[in-house]
Amino acid sequence: MVGIQHSSSGEKDFVEVLGLKEEIEKIQSTIADFEMGKKLNIAIVAEPLKGKTTLSSEIERINLNRAAKITFSKIVKNKNEISLPDDAKKIVILDNCHFLYMRKPGGFDIFYEFLDMISSQNRIFVTTWNIYSWKYLNEAFGLGKYFPVQIFIPAFEKENIRLFILKKYEKDEIKFAKDEESEEKPFFYIIKYPVELASLGKKIFISAPKINISYLRNRFLKKQKIEAAEDQVFEKLYLESNGNPGIALRIWDLGLDYPRIKPKNIGIFSYEVDLEYEEAFTLNLILSYQSLKKSEITEIMGSMMSVDRILYQLLSQELILKDENDSYRVRPEALSSITTYMEKLRLVW
Amino acid sequence: MVDGDTSREQLLETFRSIDTQTLITMALIFLIAYVLGRVITSLLLKLSEKLSHTGRIKVEVIIPIIKFVIYLIAFYFIFREIFKIFGPEIFLLAGLLGAAIGFGLKDLFSDIVGGLVITFEKPYQIGDKISIGNYFGEVTDIGLRATKLITPDANVVTAPNSLIFKETVASANYGVSEMMVVIDLYIAGESHVETAMKILWEAVVSSKYVYISRERPVVLLHKALPFYTRLRAKAYVNDLRDQFKFESDVHTRAWVEFQKNGIRAPQLHILNIPSIEEKYESEATTRRNLGSNLGPNAGDLKDSR
Repeated sequence: MVGIQHSSSGEKDFVEVLGLKEEIEKIQSTIADFEMGKKLNIAIVAEPLKGKTTLSSEIERINLNRAAKITFSKIVKNKNEISLPDDAKKIVILDNCHFLYMRKPGGFDIFYEFLDMISSQNRIFVTTWNIYSWKYLNEAFGLGKYFPVQIFIPAFEKENIRLFILKKYEKDEIKFAKDEESEEKPFFYIIKYPVELASLGKKIFISAPKINISYLRNRFLKKQKIEAAEDQVFEKLYLESNGNPGIALRIWDLGLDYPRIKPKNIGIFSYEVDLEYEEAFTLNLILSYQSLKKSEITEIMGSMMSVDRILYQLLSQELILKDENDSYRVRPEALSSITTYMEKLRLVW
Repeated sequence: MVDGDTSREQLLETFRSIDTQTLITMALIFLIAYVLGRVITSLLLKLSEKLSHTGRIKVEVIIPIIKFVIYLIAFYFIFREIFKIFGPEIFLLAGLLGAAIGFGLKDLFSDIVGGLVITFEKPYQIGDKISIGNYFGEVTDIGLRATKLITPDANVVTAPNSLIFKETVASANYGVSEMMVVIDLYIAGESHVETAMKILWEAVVSSKYVYISRERPVVLLHKALPFYTRLRAKAYVNDLRDQFKFESDVHTRAWVEFQKNGIRAPQLHILNIPSIEEKYESEATTRRNLGSNLGPNAGDLKDSR
């Protein structure tokens, strides 16, 4: 999970930078209602890498003295892990609640305990969920009814992507260089917009004319040329990541030749996904849990399946990666292609 | 009578005047229509396989319509040629055609009309799983004369289109890619039903083949019978082609969990059926004791008493 760290500069309230001011206000308002006796549990829902952990951390920070936070990092198998002492704080923040079930017969006992806990205890629960797990559990178990307040984290604005990435560096630390060919397209050029086609299960690029406003502004207002390169970099990052900050950061890291970056170094990622149904389902599990160990995948799929073969296939198509904890995750830059493919198969919706 | 002879002669004269070129043109028109229909069908089927489940069904729906439009255009050109040749005598030909249809070609004509009805009224579509006559399977093609089905055992069944006038057609999915599957599991009567229902529920909703939405919920039913309990799950499979895989997946995973929880299948000993050797010995003993006037099932009778 890519975290979006809280700014310590004090120049601007980071809540505004995140673009989640309204969401935080809504959560705080629900917490205030709880203090007045009205209990409505809260679900923060987002696709991977979109910042739900950061949002929950921000809620914890704001409610520092009255909130307790538990973060789940793998599938919970022992109900003691979710049990709260009687003297625990009244606001309970549970991060990564998609780890509270295992998609197999006999794999929902912890989930039932969790539902019993959040509906019976006199506490307010602020929970975070992977969007694909959330939608599945909502259809199968009516999960949404337990969480009347649902916060779906919106996509970042382009400007927020820029602020989010540049805040890791000192001022003018990164040098934006123009592509050679971009000098030759002064005010009007063709840009390829990525368009997801769920029915075909792939991403296509539509060429569309674009006016180079930055160039015109630089030309007539005599600004530095380097600004245009920066604009191009962040525009490409924004389009490619669909406003997902975690994906934008990953694409940035892949294109950065520290301390220089060029617009052409921002890669365009479109994966030709072609999988058998069992492989697609395994990928769907990894997408829904965000991180799964091989033993967990084997347990869910059952011993009949050749999990090794499936994982090898997913790794060789560069759809997943193995992290330092030996867990499998979806490759951030492939996330968009994978979700498009999964929507085609209706494994996610 | 004289008029009738004249008309017949006129008609025969017209037939004799048909040149080879005209016949070749008419055959070519039909051939082009046939090839075009096949090519377009094949291309659209290939395209549909690359689309999502819902997209696939949408593309497959238009295939019979396109084929019929092609054939209609072809027939228009063929009849134009015929009209050119016969002129007013076409009405005489129509009489002959009527007689031919009445005697020999009525079934073919009925099939073509059936094809038109299927195309435009859509009692079923390509991609649907239907029951027609004694057959059940997925519709793979709706042609001018017949509908092709592929059965679960991979038999290709060619059913004449006119069957829709005589038989009831049941479509299991009717134009959508998900389809309800009814899964029955039988457990011993003394089993803990609540646990079994919970396991079955989890086996269904966690299956990789399931499709769940508010409009397509999973329903569980329980029926206690004298010697066993029937658990029934009604759930939708994501892609109708995976109907049997879905059923098998639920059965397998549910039974693994049933065994962990001590839920057993109904036991045959309830019926008190002796084993083969035991039965044979029993029959032999009975015959010896009771004499040969008792029938071969005398042992069973004794046992059951």
